[in-house]
Order: sequence, then structure tokens, then C-alpha cells
Amino acid sequence: MITITINGKNIKLDEPMSVLKAAGKAGIKIPTLCHHDALETYGGCRLCVVEVERMPKLQNACTLIAADGMVITTESEVISKVRRGILELLLINHPLDCPYCDKAGECELQDLVDKYGPTVGRYTEIKRKVPASHKDEIFVRNMDRCVVCTRCVRMCNKVQGASAIDIIGRGNKSRMEPFSSASFNCEYCGNCLSVCPVGAILSRLYLHSFRPWQIDREVETVCSYCGVGCSVVVQVRDDSIKRVIPRFGLGLNNGLLCSRGRFGYEYINSEERLKEPLIRKNGKLEKSTWSEAIDFTAKKLTEIKNSHGGDAVAGIASPRCTNEDNYVFQKFMRMACGTNNIDSVSRMGFASAQKYLEDLLGQGVTSNMISGVKNADTILVVGGDPTAVNPILGLAVREAARNGAAVAVIGEAKGLEKFKTLKVVPPVFREAELLESLLSEVAEAKDPRNERPAVDQGISQLSGGSAGVDTGELKKILLDGKSISIILGSDLVQRANGHRALFAIAGLTYMLEARLTLLSDRPNEQGLIDMGCLPDTLPGGRPVTVHDFRDKFENEWNGTIPENEGLSLLEIIEGAENGNIKALYVMGENPAFNLPDSSSARKALESLDLLVVQDIFLTETAEIADVVFPSSGWAEKQGTYTNLERRIQLLNKAVGASSSMEDWKILKEVSIKMGYQMTYSSAEDVMDEIATVSPLYSDLTYREISAGHCLWPYHGKPLRGEINELPASAEAPEDYKEDLYLVIDKPLFHSGSLSRKSPALRKICPEPLLRIGPGHAQKLGLKDGDLVDVSTSKGGFDVTLSVDDCLGDGKVYLSNNFEDRGVLSLMGYRLDPVTKAPGIEGCAVKIQKKADSSAGSDKS
Amino acid sequence: MFNETVLKEIDGIRAKYPDARSALLPSLYVAQREFGWLSPEAMTCVAKTLNLPEAMVRGTASFYAMFRHNPVGRNVIQLCTNVSCMILGSDRLLDLLKSRFDLEPGETTKDGRFSLVIMECIGACGTAPAMLVNTDFHDNLTEQNLEEIMGKYK
Repeated sequence: MITITINGKNIKLDEPMSVLKAAGKAGIKIPTLCHHDALETYGGCRLCVVEVERMPKLQNACTLIAADGMVITTESEVISKVRRGILELLLINHPLDCPYCDKAGECELQDLVDKYGPTVGRYTEIKRKVPASHKDEIFVRNMDRCVVCTRCVRMCNKVQGASAIDIIGRGNKSRMEPFSSASFNCEYCGNCLSVCPVGAILSRLYLHSFRPWQIDREVETVCSYCGVGCSVVVQVRDDSIKRVIPRFGLGLNNGLLCSRGRFGYEYINSEERLKEPLIRKNGKLEKSTWSEAIDFTAKKLTEIKNSHGGDAVAGIASPRCTNEDNYVFQKFMRMACGTNNIDSVSRMGFASAQKYLEDLLGQGVTSNMISGVKNADTILVVGGDPTAVNPILGLAVREAARNGAAVAVIGEAKGLEKFKTLKVVPPVFREAELLESLLSEVAEAKDPRNERPAVDQGISQLSGGSAGVDTGELKKILLDGKSISIILGSDLVQRANGHRALFAIAGLTYMLEARLTLLSDRPNEQGLIDMGCLPDTLPGGRPVTVHDFRDKFENEWNGTIPENEGLSLLEIIEGAENGNIKALYVMGENPAFNLPDSSSARKALESLDLLVVQDIFLTETAEIADVVFPSSGWAEKQGTYTNLERRIQLLNKAVGASSSMEDWKILKEVSIKMGYQMTYSSAEDVMDEIATVSPLYSDLTYREISAGHCLWPYHGKPLRGEINELPASAEAPEDYKEDLYLVIDKPLFHSGSLSRKSPALRKICPEPLLRIGPGHAQKLGLKDGDLVDVSTSKGGFDVTLSVDDCLGDGKVYLSNNFEDRGVLSLMGYRLDPVTKAPGIEGCAVKIQKKADSSAGSDKS
Repeated sequence: MFNETVLKEIDGIRAKYPDARSALLPSLYVAQREFGWLSPEAMTCVAKTLNLPEAMVRGTASFYAMFRHNPVGRNVIQLCTNVSCMILGSDRLLDLLKSRFDLEPGETTKDGRFSLVIMECIGACGTAPAMLVNTDFHDNLTEQNLEEIMGKYK
């Protein structure tokens, strides 16, 4: 126990720490400029000087480790004089342009000078001049104002791990610059911006548009982009979002954000938002009223249900909608429409993978904390890049790597290029075999566990074939690990034999006693599953085919639930194609764009008798709908999201949405018109019902959620799953002999078809890029920036080529974000018979340089 | 990009240190020798070879005065004009360079043969005035032998 005295107050410390930290614990604030709690100690600014008894000189509180018996004074005349002197020196060069500077009002230098002075500077020399740089699309650099505290650089290098900026020059000429000295070309997380104590780094998004003290209100909510669920603070003025910022000490992201979270919010204020309901009349979508649209929808749905049966109706739910929306959606489909045909795009990855893994290893197997990844000593990343799909989870991997963890990557993970210990690239689409042979080797080296017969049996049946890659080193890393995290992306799930890779991952998790995390590129994929937006599962993970569960819900819901399992996502589309499905109800999803073979999907949707869409934009799907409802977006409604670690978090309403309605409310109105009663008056009412019927959310209230740390099962009883059909059938590997294959890219700056409505993200990444490895580009005689025609058997379009040194040969990567140029429109699919996820591998592609393409382009 | 020999040289440098950052300064010297100056491309080469962030390479290179950030001639003259050299006539040498070679401090001759940098004391006060041409040291300079010396550098 260390006891120190600060300003006459006795403080007991359990562990050694700096005087600054000890003072902070005791509630004593010592001024700092270079120190930041999120960053490593620097000791550069000297503002935190304190007097320590029996030490002849003033000491830096940030670098001085508290020793037993120290007597410290943090404010005195001498200390104030020193601080005033330091500030006077900083003000030699710092311009006094506060009336013009965005930071005024929340500027740490301004506050310090206000407290310690000086009121007048004695220096008469000319100030250093560095012209403000407006060359970046997002950041404005005002290096006149820089006090060289290096917080931004430490944030970028040591926390974000992007290392995109550094201090340039020497002495009073030093300043922060990105490598190019103009555009940042970085990950655009903006974390440098949030630690800058002065107005040296500012955001262009809201430059000169408001003053910090003019904010009407601040609302704590959860980010709408990915499955991590970062806490954000939305600052509102005149009922419009001025900015979205993280806050240190708030949420699991603790002050960090990624580009999408920080800069992607503008879609809420977009002019293109749907403002009124639309109904198709004479082949055209025309403005309508709420009552007309609701009546029309209810009437048509009832007609179809009565004439063709409930199973002629299907619904597609949304992992972007809240738990409450999704709960009401599946209840509406099951009770009002009378069908279990409910699924979502989560089928393309997260939901399929989770169902399969839980069946093998038990419910909750993927519910691991992100903080656990930070503490792992070995991390296996496979099937996706966590730094792009779930950037804040990616930071946990980078932090672990910095702390000495071994990071093994199978396939491509660009954001971990500088952090990985080992990268193994199997031959194209042969990951499953590589994982299987790795599992055989690991199982051989380990004692059998004999805890789960299905998994044990599956492992013993492995053929032991290999993908022709040496797995020795990989095996060694995994066997040496004591605390292992496996991070699985959706790429491996999107295979016709995806369950094989999933089994191998499950086996590795089981044999290595590892923790497993699934990447999730939508904010509420987990919640969607929990709410029962699946063809085979009721809320709480209860199988729909089990009579007792169905019975329980039927009692709660006053009605009958269909006994049979419904159709999965792609089966619904196929049903629409062959006429078995007559009506489709889509909530917050864009199946005409987000599904493989999307032109066929679009045709299938066009052939429906009734297509109802609830969305915030007129998406590709809404364009061909019969009825379109404008729903409230994120920040316009209350509700809950359940993140990938199964943390239940509260969304709060930040801005009003006068002309739109919450998704659950639209469903409720339609349901009542169809004769099935719903009585909710708020999202909280819906959660109250969820807490009654779902064993995983039992007793949960908004009050408890807003207090934080609600991880499920919350007072709940997890349900053990059972696997019925063993996978890992050792089919002969397919030969992939084509020269070049097209695969889906998950970019950092975009997400689904939502981010395209965000001007800032479009500035960072304005158009789709076809990424190719340098070897293959050379072989084809192509250069970075070339305009190429990319074509497959499903179609083709023009796209700009980007040569990426990280990539190998044989594959080109293209994302599915931009209008008319989504990669999924070029791909066919084959369903995985077990997971029902669409396998999109093996899509042969041709790329050809456009004749008129100008050589080379400068993105910056 | 660097050729094979240079890559090998940098690998050799890298092997001497436990940490790639330590190899940065000597590798920058190699890059400067190869490219004549540290262009953004040269710094990118160093960053890629050592697997270090480009921004850090530039930050380090910009701190030190001995790294050049603009193209220079084939031969770089570093002439001292500190007290001893000044007293013993370095300004006459400067005049000569200007009249004879049209070379001003901080500039390069039109044929790209020489660049001139004024530098602070190079520790040759006893034999002043003195200068470095590339890495060669020359002292006891006069207007006559300066021309002779410069004739050796093409």
C-alpha cells in the first residue's frame, strides 16, 4: 500500500501509478496539454508540474511515480508562475484567432490561458506562419495552431495503429503532417481530431457551422454502422445533427471511433430521405397518405393470405433495425400473416454461421467480449478483415499484437498487414481444406476432450487431406497459445460448402478451448437472431418446430404459429421467382441490391403480387415496390441493439422525424388492420413484452440497459442446441482452374447501401475500386487507376482498378456498395445445403482495360 | 524501388539492430546515396524495405539537416563560412564559385554537376578555409586549388 498526500489530502494507492493518475483518482485536477488518459505518457508540455516536498525542483506529475510518503502540492504561486511562463512561450507562435477558430469554447489551451494567464504577451517577434491545409476532404490542418503535444501522433501510431501522421521538421518549425503533406490517405478514424487540445486538426464536415456552446442537446446513443455497437454522443442543434463524437469513458469503444461511425451520420439529414408513403398506381410510385397506404397493404396481404395461404407471404427483416422493430416484425409475420418465411441478409454470414456453431458448441459460443480479444496471447483471423468490417474490434487485435500476441491470418486482412505474425494464403477457395487439415493436426497433438460427441465424431471423420499449404507454423502458434481468440469473417460462410469451414472452426475452438468472435457488419445481427427473425427459430433461440415452445408463444401471443420451418432468404427469392411466394414484406433491407445474382432477384421481386418496403431511402428494392413506407432512421427513434458480443445497448432519439414512423409502429398499424391486435404505444412497451417472452432477455428493462453492462443471457437461461446432421463430409475438393476469380470486398469506408448516402464517406471513397494484386496486374498489363471493364457470366460494368501490394494472385476484390456497380450483381450462387447461406465462390471474371482510359490517376 | 544489391545492403543494416526503427537513419543514408536526395518515392522505398510507416520515415528524415529534400547536383559542396574560414577568405571562394561556376549557396549548376551548401564548422579551423565535396574533405583552400579540386569532380 502506498500512501501519498496531495494538497493535504491523504490518498491510498493499491498499485504504483503516476502522481497525475493518483490525483485524478482523488478528484484533484492537474492541468495537462500533452497528457491524455487514452495515450501513453509523454512528458512534453510540463504543464503538470507539481511541488514535491524535499525535491528541489518542480516535478512532472505525469512521469513521476507516486512513492510512499510523498507530499505533493499541485497549485501554488510558484507553480502558477511556471505554468504561465510555459503558456506564454506556447502563445509566441499560437495565433490568437479564437474568434475564428472552431475549437474556441472547447479548446484546452484557451481554458488554461484563461486560468493561468498570461493576459499580455511580452514577445514582439513575428509568429510562425504555416498556411492552413484544406487539401484533405475530411480534415483541415491548421498547423499555425499546433502546440506539438504529439497527442495526434501517439493516437495514430500507438492506439489506432494507422501510423499515417508524424511530426515533421525540428524546433519551432515542427508540425504534424501526413506522409503526402496534403491528403491524409489514412483510415479516417478521426481519433487524432478528438485528442487535439487546440484547433490544429478540425473536421470539414462542420467547419464554421456552429459553436460548441450553441448545441441544443447531447444524446448518448449507439452507432448505426457495425456489430461492435460503439457508444456515441450526438450533438444536435435546431433539430439537426451537428456532429457525432465519441467520449472517453463512455461505452466499450472508450473514446475511439472509426470513419463510418464518426463521419457517416449525415445520411440522417439527407434530402433524399423518404418523406411520405408511396403507392404504385398505374405502374408509377405516387405520393399517398399513411392511412391509404396502411389500408392498401393490409387489404392486399389479407387477400393473398386468404387465397394462397400464409406461406405465400414472406418477410425480410433488417439487421439495421432495432430489437423492437425486429420482434414486432416476426410477430407480425407469424401471427398476422401466418408464416415462418422470415429471414434477413444476415443469412449471408452471421446468422448462418452462428446457428451452425451454436448447434455444435452450445448457445452463446460466440458471445465473447471484445476486451477479451485485447488480452489474448494468440489470435487467429480467418475469412475477413476485422479492421475493416468491425474497426474497433480490429483495434483490439492490433493492441493485442502490440502487447506481444501472435496474430495468425488465413487469407487476406489488409489492416493487419503490419501487425500479423504469420499470414497463410491457401489456394483460391481452399480455406476449408486448410482448416480441416489444421484441425486434424491440432486434434492429434491434443488430448481428446470427449465432451461433445458430435464434434469429437466429426473430428475423427476428417479426411486429413490438405490444401497443399504447410500448416506447421500455424499449428505451432495455435498450440503454443494459452489464451486464444478466433475471429471469423463471413467470407468462409459464403461458400456452397461453407459448413465445412465452419465445422473446422468449431473444432479448433473446441480443441484449443478458444474464444470465438464472429465479424458482423450490421449493428443488430445478433438482436435480429435473438428476436426470432429466422425461419426456424422463435424469440430467444427457441426452435419453431418444437411443440412446447410454440405452445408457450401461442399463449402469449393469442394465436397460432405455423408448425413448419419457413423459407430462408434465398429460398424466399426463389419462391418469388417460381410463383410460390406472392407477397413479400421488406423492412429496412435492399434485397434487389444486397443479394447475389441481384438482377435475377430483382426480376423475382418485380413478379410478386405485392412488395411492401419500409425504408428510409428509395432503394433499388423500394423503386420496384407496390407500397413504400418512410420509416424513422437511427437517431430518430428509441430502441435497443444487441452487439456481436451480445451486449444489449440503448439507442436514444436525438432528432425528431416529423414525417416518418418507427418500423414497429408501421407494422402495428398494418397488423391491426389485418385483424391481429397489437397494443404497444412505445418501443419500451415492446421491450417489456420481449422481456416476458424471451428467456434470453428476461426481466430486462430500459432502465437497466441504460445503466450499461447488459450482456445476455440477462437473468436468462441459455438453451443448448443440438446438431442433427454431421457436416465435414469429405467431398473431393473442387478445382478452381480459372485464371482470375471475383470475390466480395468489405471496405472500411462503406457499409451496405446505406453509407453511399453519406457525403463524407463518399468523399473519402467516392467510387468502387477493383482491388488486384501487383503480380496479376502486371501480367494483365494494368496499372493503378486504370479504368477497366469487369465482366462475369452475369454481366459487367466499368470500374477503376486499384493495385494493392497486400494481395496475391488469382482473385480480384470488389465491394457491394455503389449504385449499379455492386459486386453481387455479377455473381451467381449455390446454397450451402446445411447453413442455407449462398455460396458465391468460384465466380470467374474477366477484366479488360478500357481503350479510352487515361493512364494513371491521382486519388488525392 | 531499390535494386537487389541495395536491398541486400539494407537487410544487412537491419540485421544489426533488434528493431527496424533503429535501422532507419543508416537506411536513409543509403537511399540518399542511391537517389541523390530523399524524394517521397525514396522514402517510400525505405518504408517498404524496413516495413515502417511512411509518415514516420518522413518525420525522421525531416528532423535531420543532413538529409536533402530537394534534388541536388551530382556533387555536393559543403563550404564552411564560420569564423575561421571567414577570416581566411571563404567569402572569396564563394565569389569564385559564383563567377566561375554560376553557383550560389543552396543552388545547383545548370549542368547538374555541383550543388552548394553553406555549412557550419567542420572542425578544420587550423587549416581553414575548408569544405566537403560529397564525402571528401578538402582544407587550406585558395582560389587556385579550389578550381583544381573541382576539376576532379565530373
